Amino acid sequence: MTWSDYLPAWPLQISPALWLALTLVVAVLLGEALVRHLRLPRIVGYIGIGAILGPGGLGFIPQLPVDEWRLVVDLALGILLFELGSKVNLRWLKANPWLAGTSLLEAIATFGAVFSVLVWLDVTSTAAAVVATIAIATSPAIIVRTVTESRAQGQVTDRLLLMTALNTIYAVIFHKLAIAVMHGQAGTSFVHTIFPPLYLLGGSALLAWLFGITFERIHHHLGQHEETFSFILFGMIAFATIMASTLRLSPILVLLAAGLITRYQRKHTRTFPPHFGSAGAVLVVLMFIANGLAADLRGLRDGSLLVLLLIVVRIIAKLLAVLPLATHSGIGWRQAISLGIALVPMSSVALLLTLDTAIDFPEFAFGLGMVLMSWIVILELAGPILVQVALRRAGETPEKKT
Amino acid sequence: MSLMPFAPSRPLSIGVELELQLLGCNDYNLAPSAPEILRRVAKRTHPGEIKPEMTRSMIEINTSVQQDYAGLVTELRALRDVVSDAGRFLNVAVAGGGTHPFQHWSEQKISDAPRFHYLSELYGYLAKQFTIFGQHVHLGCPGPDEALHLMHMLSRYIPHFIALSASSPFVQGHDTGFASARLNSVFSFPLSGRAPFVLRWNDFEKFFAKMAGTGVVESMKDFYWDIRPKPEFGTLEVRVCDTPLTVEIAAAIACYIQAMSRYIMVEQRTAPEEDDYLVYTFNRFQACRFGLEGVFIDPRTHQQRSIREDIMEMLEHISDHARELRAGEAMERIREILIVGNGTSWQRRAYANEHNLADVMQLQAELWMGN
Repeated sequence: MTWSDYLPAWPLQISPALWLALTLVVAVLLGEALVRHLRLPRIVGYIGIGAILGPGGLGFIPQLPVDEWRLVVDLALGILLFELGSKVNLRWLKANPWLAGTSLLEAIATFGAVFSVLVWLDVTSTAAAVVATIAIATSPAIIVRTVTESRAQGQVTDRLLLMTALNTIYAVIFHKLAIAVMHGQAGTSFVHTIFPPLYLLGGSALLAWLFGITFERIHHHLGQHEETFSFILFGMIAFATIMASTLRLSPILVLLAAGLITRYQRKHTRTFPPHFGSAGAVLVVLMFIANGLAADLRGLRDGSLLVLLLIVVRIIAKLLAVLPLATHSGIGWRQAISLGIALVPMSSVALLLTLDTAIDFPEFAFGLGMVLMSWIVILELAGPILVQVALRRAGETPEKKT
Repeated sequence: MSLMPFAPSRPLSIGVELELQLLGCNDYNLAPSAPEILRRVAKRTHPGEIKPEMTRSMIEINTSVQQDYAGLVTELRALRDVVSDAGRFLNVAVAGGGTHPFQHWSEQKISDAPRFHYLSELYGYLAKQFTIFGQHVHLGCPGPDEALHLMHMLSRYIPHFIALSASSPFVQGHDTGFASARLNSVFSFPLSGRAPFVLRWNDFEKFFAKMAGTGVVESMKDFYWDIRPKPEFGTLEVRVCDTPLTVEIAAAIACYIQAMSRYIMVEQRTAPEEDDYLVYTFNRFQACRFGLEGVFIDPRTHQQRSIREDIMEMLEHISDHARELRAGEAMERIREILIVGNGTSWQRRAYANEHNLADVMQLQAELWMGN
């Protein structure tokens, strides 16, 4: 027997996973520090530490294998999307049609504003349309996480959740349409232009509906044991997410719709622990770190003015679009302004849509894709702070002892 | 500061105030939505009044002065519908019941008005713990001395009103075992309890002047008594009831008090005695704790029986007066409560079926809003 049989070889072979585990610890510590000393949302710390230590920053953590990461991100996003869907009461739209109006107006204004700016800057109209559809979506991940963390409650919070769910749906659908048009221009036959969006919509709706029925059945048999039910739900979300990718449907649409359907069909209230238990919560934290690791600010090198312009235009569009119908829909100006500001964050959904576009059109990845990536990073870091400030100003977070 | 003169009012006219819970439609916890609801209902014409309350997750509906059950229940239904419509428009559920079963008092937000901020300063956490929901019944009196007479006579029957309206078994996530746990929160206020045994209005004015002189009180509002005179309205205000689970029960209980008052004024011409109060807190505790099953000790005969039996007998005594006041349907509803139980038994049954207090709250809101 020699030394080398039982002592580790030198230098140590360290797997990237070790750095990752360490990053998790540091990120969570930083998150706590932000909350305690600066009263900032924890996720800013998670994303920030990922961005600083990742390949785009100081480079302590090497590029990670994409497939494994994609699974973590998909799962965590699935959890957050389902959570969002299950918090949104679609019947409210019937009782208060002004909300549907506000939501459509907000989506159209965002699309129109971003599209106009890009076309004005000589971007082709299809590429501009693709970017503009991505810009419609408010980040469900940031909204759900910040609302959960701040324990916000009230009209602005309810509307924020509803409008985020709706504009995410619009974004996914119209993004697919814009991509189809792009393919059409690239010379793909008409059938292959028109079929993909139909398949995406029909297939995702069907899968979400099956999820909803199964969920109701299992719940009916299992009864109210909250923790057991969380485990099953966790498994179902993972299954649906992977199934959706396997069938090349949109996991975003499937999980969001599944949440909405279960909420619409349910006869009883259900309260789950946030993110369906600690396993879900860890995945969510990992997802935000992963988003930080994926942060790519190279787009700022040539296009910082463009990024800034797009950010400002999008904020103005969202803010102005929620104002005209505000009093009709039953909230005041102050609340409407808070709502408009809180709709600003961009994150995982926009990121995934950008990556999907880049897979189909590699040239996109080096042009507008870079601009989008920087845009997302900035709104990912600023977004949670904006949401927190907006909800606090609207008086919807618990009062602090003074 | 002296007491206002006792305003004239039509004898036996009635008015009801109900404090209501505002709930989020996802978790059925209390939601601070009163400002939006009030802004919304301000645009609609409705009878009576809709007002803010201590915390932002409660509102109060007040009827105008009514003479009988039909008028009262019509107006309460109209008020309920206006508030429920506003609630649906804003994704807020509205419910009756004396307590919210799992709200946390520290999360409640004080309403933005000087009086509420003042009370919050004064009472500290008690103000937030005061997120409880009661029914107040106003009763027109021919004059101030008659009001005091009626007040002391009605005090004997406080357990009836508590047991019939009881709908607050759950507090902070647990079954307290009480039929009305809400009243326990009221008792922690320094000026709660009963009015002093004074039978002449000028003596009552002297008492008030002495209290005001000590600086303890400024107006009648500072007394949290179970029954108190309200001189500016010329009424007696019965304040022990929980907000029942439906407006119909609220109206029926108001009419039960009305018919009993007519019986006291017209038929039962005995004078109240200070010794009637010997059993007062015992009887009241029994009603809070055990509801209709509680023990009732008659202060005069010392006879013991259940509150349910005592109400049964009272219904016999007052039936002519109820007919005179067109309160036949109201008495039927009271009889029904004696058989099927009060709000508290409904809530405990719902919890036994659902095993989840949020579900109980959802059903309670559906019962109130009528959908």
